Amino acid sequence: MNAVAGDETVYSADPVLRSPGRFLAAARADLRAVPPSAWRMWLRGVQARHRQSRLGYAWLPVPALATALTWVYLDDVRVVRFGDAGIPYLAYVLIGVVLWQTFTDALHAPLRRLGAARHVLTKARLPHEAWLAAGALDVAFNLLVRLGVLAAVLVAAGTPVRGAIVLAPLGVLALGVLGFAIGLALAPVGLLYDDVGEALTVATGLWFFLTPVVYPWPSEIPGDSVIALNPVTPVLVTTRAWATGAPGAEPAQLAAVGAGAAALLVAAWLVYRVARPHLVARL
Amino acid sequence: MRAAAEPVVRADHLTKRYAGDLRRSLRYALRDVGRELAGRRGPDGPRPGEFAAVDDVSFELRRGEALAIVGPNGAGKSTLLKLLYGLIKPDGGEVRIRGRVGALIELGTGFDDVLTGRENVAVNAAVLGLSEDELRTATEEVLAFGELEDAADMPVRFYSSGMKARLAFAVAAHLRPDVLLVDEVLAVGDFAFQRKCFRHMRAFLDGGGALVLVSHNVFLVQTLCTRGMLLDRGSCAFAGTALDTVARYLATRQPRPAANRAAGEGDGDGEPRAAAAPVAIEAVSAQRPGGGPPATGEPLEIAVRYRCAEPVDAVWGFTVWTGDHWVCVTGERDLRPRRLERAGELSATVPRLPLLAGAYVLRPTIVDAETMQPLAVHGLDDEAPAVLEVAGGAADLSRNAMTAVNQLVTIDVDWH
Repeated sequence: MNAVAGDETVYSADPVLRSPGRFLAAARADLRAVPPSAWRMWLRGVQARHRQSRLGYAWLPVPALATALTWVYLDDVRVVRFGDAGIPYLAYVLIGVVLWQTFTDALHAPLRRLGAARHVLTKARLPHEAWLAAGALDVAFNLLVRLGVLAAVLVAAGTPVRGAIVLAPLGVLALGVLGFAIGLALAPVGLLYDDVGEALTVATGLWFFLTPVVYPWPSEIPGDSVIALNPVTPVLVTTRAWATGAPGAEPAQLAAVGAGAAALLVAAWLVYRVARPHLVARL
Repeated sequence: MRAAAEPVVRADHLTKRYAGDLRRSLRYALRDVGRELAGRRGPDGPRPGEFAAVDDVSFELRRGEALAIVGPNGAGKSTLLKLLYGLIKPDGGEVRIRGRVGALIELGTGFDDVLTGRENVAVNAAVLGLSEDELRTATEEVLAFGELEDAADMPVRFYSSGMKARLAFAVAAHLRPDVLLVDEVLAVGDFAFQRKCFRHMRAFLDGGGALVLVSHNVFLVQTLCTRGMLLDRGSCAFAGTALDTVARYLATRQPRPAANRAAGEGDGDGEPRAAAAPVAIEAVSAQRPGGGPPATGEPLEIAVRYRCAEPVDAVWGFTVWTGDHWVCVTGERDLRPRRLERAGELSATVPRLPLLAGAYVLRPTIVDAETMQPLAVHGLDDEAPAVLEVAGGAADLSRNAMTAVNQLVTIDVDWH
């Protein structure tokens, strides 16, 4: 629909995918405007969000710390027994929770950002990618703040720094891309039906227990179980292994999931662009 | 330099359909996306529960031309603008636009509330691909035009509706568009800023821009636009000059004869208005003595047919308003009380009508003689006002000059 030829723009009832060249050219043109817009939106958003809060950014690592300490306590009083994690349990669970939160932040970011901008999307022809990119910046920023706290805790706990830690950012990236891609793939339906947002919240809670965030991996759980087939598992476990020396690194699986996530991200983005005018008409 | 004769906007059989029911609409949205992904076209006709918000609308617009789109609420004006802007996809037909489009769709709502005024300008400019230097200059221009320099660094959520309107117009109009789509720009904002917008749009047209203007302010439409289109339930009911379009629009809002209403033709309550109100004005007519349309400088006979629930002592008069109901041009009342019986007619003659050619609204008023409380004001409630169409005399230099400055009345002058 959004076909550009020379300086002429054509909006027609024809399916956009019948002229893939024009469709991709329009997508590329929109992307050019994204970085400055997304940066401004993100920066102002962060400032505005923390302006009405006394503790401000300090709230970012609090949930991760609270979750980690809860599990450490449960382990300590033997309500749960997970066996040997290979490294101090506090370090194991804390980094697990930080990585998990990065994934869920990324998973919820597209729908949250687009949903909040709903009233603007229907009236201004700004590229929706700007809001998506601002959402990705949110995820990255939250991660950085949590990593700062995490590093301090790990150093205090005496966790040795290993050379493989330089690979950890790759794992974090794969985790973020995976979450964001799934979130973006769900966004078109999610903008129309609130059920998607509700289901995502429920699924995230369940997914937490199906991912080795707080319990050690590899374990006696069979390889064809939901936990093993869960795409987050190899990415999270490998990243944690690179960062701390915990056992269970599966670089090949991480690479496969990462590549699949990147492909899903591009596909989800293009599908969103196809869906966009139909969504705007109904928002 | 492109030939001025080449259209910058060409809408060809544009159609957009919506489903009234939300659940159905969402279901159709999913199907539309699926069909689009499969590379298939949508259905040619409406699906169950769908109506055409824009139905087979075609027009062309060239540089320097302004098209007014008028019509009642729900006629599809805003949907048409959204189609032209590319926010939504047509279900049929196509639109071709040459150059940059600036648009103002529903005032002041196209901004991110969290961003400051300055940042919103920057975000909008980034989409148009302005360079850093261009951006800086344009931002200052926009803020200056919107008189928002002092509020530039304040988040837009703290702006008043007038400030948002000023920012919206300034952004749409100042980021160097070739085509400007404007939706109800003068609905808010103070009078001085409205005049500024008006002058800006005129300069934009003189500079070779093309304007599509949606407005209920028919006075503005008549003075700014050369061409007009009347939309009615999505379709183009009339296309012609702006003046003719406005006249047609106002005519469609004429009240139906009382006889029809009493016959219960679609009125719903089936109750004659006179029974509910103490006095009801049933019909208004304004014509030259012996018939013929009102004309400048000619006598005019005004007749008002009324009905009362019970006899009352009253005085009556009338006012004449511009077609958009904004400005009262003139009016008069007869302060001698008169006895109104159950039904009758009041009449008066204006010996020499001073109104210049155009569409006006005639609003007769009947007031209680003792308390001076209004008993009946015609054209204020849900009934359509009486339209006073004044025909112009023969064109001459003086008359054209009056029209050019939107003069409303002519007066007798003895020159010394």
